[in-house]
Amino acid sequence: PLPPKLGRPSELPPEPGPGYEGDEEFLRRLHHVLLELEVLEGSLQCPDSGRRFPISRGVPNLLLSEDEA
Amino acid sequence: TGPPRGGRATRAPPGAMAAAPRGRFFCTAGRGLEPFVAREVRARLGATEVDCVSGKVFFRAAVGPGELRRLRSGERLFLLLKRRGPLPVCGNRGKMLHEIKSLVIEEPKYWLDIISVWRKLHGHEGKADGVSHSALVLKRKSEEETNIANKRQKTEQERAVVSEKCQVEAGETCVVPEGMSSQECWIESKPSSEFPSKGCGENPTANEQLSFSFRVSCRCSGAIARILTSQEIGRALGVALVQQCGWRADLRDPDLEIFVHLNDIHSVVGIPLFRLPLANRDYIKTAGLRSTVAWAMASLAEISAGALVLDPMCGLGTILLEAAKEWPEACYWGADISDSQLEGADENIRTADLMDKIELLKASVKALPLPSESFDSVISDIPFGKKFKMMNDAQLLPDILQEMERVLRVGGTLVLLLSAELRGRVAALASCAAGGSAQAPAVAGNSSSSAQGHGESLLSRLLGSLVPEGAYAVSLGKTDAFIHKYRKVSAAGDG
Repeated sequence: PLPPKLGRPSELPPEPGPGYEGDEEFLRRLHHVLLELEVLEGSLQCPDSGRRFPISRGVPNLLLSEDEA
Repeated sequence: TGPPRGGRATRAPPGAMAAAPRGRFFCTAGRGLEPFVAREVRARLGATEVDCVSGKVFFRAAVGPGELRRLRSGERLFLLLKRRGPLPVCGNRGKMLHEIKSLVIEEPKYWLDIISVWRKLHGHEGKADGVSHSALVLKRKSEEETNIANKRQKTEQERAVVSEKCQVEAGETCVVPEGMSSQECWIESKPSSEFPSKGCGENPTANEQLSFSFRVSCRCSGAIARILTSQEIGRALGVALVQQCGWRADLRDPDLEIFVHLNDIHSVVGIPLFRLPLANRDYIKTAGLRSTVAWAMASLAEISAGALVLDPMCGLGTILLEAAKEWPEACYWGADISDSQLEGADENIRTADLMDKIELLKASVKALPLPSESFDSVISDIPFGKKFKMMNDAQLLPDILQEMERVLRVGGTLVLLLSAELRGRVAALASCAAGGSAQAPAVAGNSSSSAQGHGESLLSRLLGSLVPEGAYAVSLGKTDAFIHKYRKVSAAGDG
């Protein structure tokens, strides 16, 4: 549901460029990020609210506080 | 891929020690799980002549120990030697013992045949063929020695009777020691005089007969138990076997265990096929819910390839582990609010090597950070405060059910484990819902607070969209619980 923002902006462009389906290098990096990368420490950011959810030891904490819920 | 769901019979896998005649077996089962065992042996082993009684499932199958070991809903698996009606009970102890001995004791040749069947069943378990007989015994010995780490050391008296008390029947409780400590590993070096032939290549058969050790595990209940105790029977049988066959009684690490169960329903004699109960999973590091019950719940969820399955109160992840092992072609998600539970679940998942199958979230089941109608199945053990001081309040039930119902897609399955108390509430409200949900608050009427009334009307509406598809009473050892299955037939918001 929430797209991760990685601390390595050079790895992937913010959006897929035109003709990305044929861009082998891009596809390989995308595959790596989607299927092989596990975030152990970091955060997820909600694209709507901007609220950050911390990830610790590979498990994201998606609990909302009382006033957020 | 996992085994077929439902009743389709499977062929024995190639290379299995089919031993052309179909062997007769029985599996002990926790109370309430017998139907699951029956279904599983049919589906997984192509079993025939499947017969359930309280606490046991008898069947015939032509498969090897590898496949047998994969049974997931049973407690222990035995080779069936004898199954008769209940023994006639008389007040005369001597006469009773005689009856029992007649049932169990046979000529040495009978036992040798049995042992050779048992060995054939085990001799090809992944080991090279053509291994010599005594080497087979040696190898089996070292397997057993590593398995000793899982035995508890009790007095010899108790050992004769207790073994793994994993069978539940009327008047007995199911207690399985959890977390067997590896400190209890007592690999003793036996005095060499006892096993003169080990590795010497001398006449193995004769020496095996001499050095062959056994133990009788007897369990009796009902009318017989009023005349004789399990210990007395076990002892008498042990003595008789020593006299008859010249074997050595070894209560700690016998070559052969003979299991005798006498009650008002039947008299059964069998030999356990494996040292450890089936319920012990080598892929689970820390068990939460009993693995057999967890597997049974997953088996009801109809998990198909590509399914998304959620346990929103996953605890140590037992249900997800059992499901992911059996139905690996699905995606599993677990959520919990407790850090320590999630850590345990994470460790379990790594130990089981299921990292790519199971995702964990720290989240509350009352506010799941998941899209509506996104899961094919929701499976959960709703904790009733027995182990964890989490939820002791049935008032949380409506919120929990609401979220579970929301994330479930129409046509999806919901499988819950409920305490008797929770179940009573759910059942009462389900009958209200069936009668027309709009008036539910009035019908469910004796609630004093409006909050509770709101909860109950919500529950009624929810239960209108969740159609019950089965309920199963199961024993969890000290307590009983109920597995409930529902199917979502419409979104709760609609009509």
